[in-house]
Amino acid sequence: MTPGHSWRAWWRQLYAVMLKEGKQVTRDPSSWIIAVFLPLTFLFLFGYGLSLDTTVVKIALVREDSSQDARAFAARLQDSKWFLVVDAPNRQAGKDLLRDQAVKATVIIPGEFGRQLFSDADPAQVQVLVDGAEPNTANFVRGYVSAIWSTFLAERGVTGTSTSAPITVEPRYWFNANAESRWFLIPGSITVIMTLIGTLLTALVVAREWERGTLEALYATPLTRGQILLGKTVPYFLLAMISTLVCVLTALVLFHLPLRGSMLTLGLVAAVFLVPALGQGLLISVTMRSQLAAAQLGLMTGYLPAIMLSGFLFDIHSMPAVLRAVTLIVPARYMNVSLQTIFLAGDVWSVLIPNMLLMLAVGGVFFGITWRKLRKRVD
Amino acid sequence: MLQRLLAIIRKELIGMLRDRRARMSLIIPPVIQLLIFAQAATMEVKNIELAIVDLDRGPVSAEIVQRLRGSPSFESLPLYPSVAAAREHVEREQVIGILVLPSGMSADIAAGRPTTTQLLLDGRRSNAAGITTQYVSGIVQNVGVELANKVRPSMSAARPDVVINNWFNPNLDYKWFILPNLVGNLSLGVALMLTALSVSRERELGTFDQTLVSPATPFEIALGKLLPPLLVACVQTSLYLVLVTQLYGVPFRGSIPLFYASVLTFAAACAGIGLFISSIAQTQQQAFLGAFAVLLPFALLSGFATPVENMPFWLQFVTGINPLAHMLRLMQGLFLKDASALSLVHLLGKLGLIALVTVTSSIFLFQRRAS
Repeated sequence: MTPGHSWRAWWRQLYAVMLKEGKQVTRDPSSWIIAVFLPLTFLFLFGYGLSLDTTVVKIALVREDSSQDARAFAARLQDSKWFLVVDAPNRQAGKDLLRDQAVKATVIIPGEFGRQLFSDADPAQVQVLVDGAEPNTANFVRGYVSAIWSTFLAERGVTGTSTSAPITVEPRYWFNANAESRWFLIPGSITVIMTLIGTLLTALVVAREWERGTLEALYATPLTRGQILLGKTVPYFLLAMISTLVCVLTALVLFHLPLRGSMLTLGLVAAVFLVPALGQGLLISVTMRSQLAAAQLGLMTGYLPAIMLSGFLFDIHSMPAVLRAVTLIVPARYMNVSLQTIFLAGDVWSVLIPNMLLMLAVGGVFFGITWRKLRKRVD
Repeated sequence: MLQRLLAIIRKELIGMLRDRRARMSLIIPPVIQLLIFAQAATMEVKNIELAIVDLDRGPVSAEIVQRLRGSPSFESLPLYPSVAAAREHVEREQVIGILVLPSGMSADIAAGRPTTTQLLLDGRRSNAAGITTQYVSGIVQNVGVELANKVRPSMSAARPDVVINNWFNPNLDYKWFILPNLVGNLSLGVALMLTALSVSRERELGTFDQTLVSPATPFEIALGKLLPPLLVACVQTSLYLVLVTQLYGVPFRGSIPLFYASVLTFAAACAGIGLFISSIAQTQQQAFLGAFAVLLPFALLSGFATPVENMPFWLQFVTGINPLAHMLRLMQGLFLKDASALSLVHLLGKLGLIALVTVTSSIFLFQRRAS
């Protein structure tokens, strides 16, 4: 047999096994639900539902003073588009509303407010109780109440207030001029959805073959380990690529994300990400060999890290050093940075190439271990 | 009937706890998850790396840089000669932004003129960038006020002020927010997955038919599937309760009976959804997909990832059917707030209603599919 001939035979065998796997995938209606329906629904829900940009906060207002100044300050709060103000008859009622989670803050205008406002000896104090249980919202409320208070004082011409700070810091956001959180949460959501399809589905499907013994049947064929691995992977690779396309189109059309890089680069990065994602799925399935166990392990090592340790919601730079080291083996981490960069900044190769290399490295490790574990033997 | 039901529950529990590995898998991973994610899940911004472009080279810019170095939030503050030189480090995410200290800044302050510094930020990390802005502004403004006061002492008379107190979590510690949330989130996954995969697994293995020909009625079998996850959820959340309060020092201010009532109702609601999926699904794979189609939106749209108030109104309305959304409010009310029993019972009622719907409809469906 000439080497050329054996190569051709190798390819024919691979083609045959891919065809078999491909048919199995496309025949199953749930594959199409996975490729199109799930990504569409998820991205739709997350695109609208996930936002760190606070819109309107419900606050309670206790008015113990009915002077003109007190009414003016109350009106300022009520007119603010940031607050939805509910009146509380007294302090206790205001505190109860806060404790029972009906409002996020309680503002108390004390009884002597109007009289003390212009007094130098005993200046008026507005009391604000903020629900600290959600620190982000608490900071938001704090900032806006202070801002409203300052403009109120300036309007009333109260003495002792500095008109302008000596140094003002002027923030300007590159890549995302309005600092919209959706712009980084949507690329993150795409990563989570791709992890779900790439890792979890592969883990489950191949584990099913172990359970049913159909993988052992493949062993009886002249196929090599490499051919079996490739044959299993390629159809899911294509499925995941379709769902990525669905996600990206949804992001562009429905949520008007900019795509500052090129579609081609995005496709390349997605393909590279699927190497570790699918590799992890395969590794889980050859290790666990039962669907239930594969599902549990996939949940723990695929899905949860993609949400918690990928920089999707929580900034990796702020994590303790040990955890930052753990994130190095989470492929979703590299994907997040890459997607955010392609969507918002452009084809910045100095970012993309290192991240793609790291994804390939992690993927190589996963595939390597899988290949070793996939000895041609029947237990 | 009770005897048969107990027999089925026993069978399910044996299946769940049959060997050491299975028992460990119910205890160890949830604890590890809690420990890891409590560290990871923070919206505080630490270890900030910020580039400095100092065009002023005067006392004011020196003072600002020194103050930033002294702040525990900042890890490194590399200096670059120009914005152009620093830009690529922002692009590569090596620094979160660039603080530009303009030339003539010290002179402006000395002359009593107000001045402006520019902070250029990486919008890909807009949330962390926003928080960084708060830190930097605070420090820079303080320096400005102090140095300006040296030049031209202003009247520092007492002035009217807002006094802001953070209730329930005085230091705004993010862990106090995230840990009670994780208790709900992690038990959601367990209760849902255990039941969702149980029936379809037996169906695939062929043991389901054996159960059906036993003297137990489908109703009893369904109950037998629903109850063990409640037990598991109780054990796991008890463990969490101890860890969260003892290890992390998060206060638990509410009542223990209400805590367990919440856990049981919540687990029942989730198990009901799981059994529902399990009854429809033909294969484990379908059951798994169904469970995920529910789990992911429930987890992310519960107020855990981002606040419910930030959602558009129609979606806030839809979260009313999400048991986790109610569970998280219950957990916050119980751990941090000592909310009144009335408000908690109100939330518990909503959760109970969801549980009632999911449990009865899943039992109904299960009976139909079994007969």
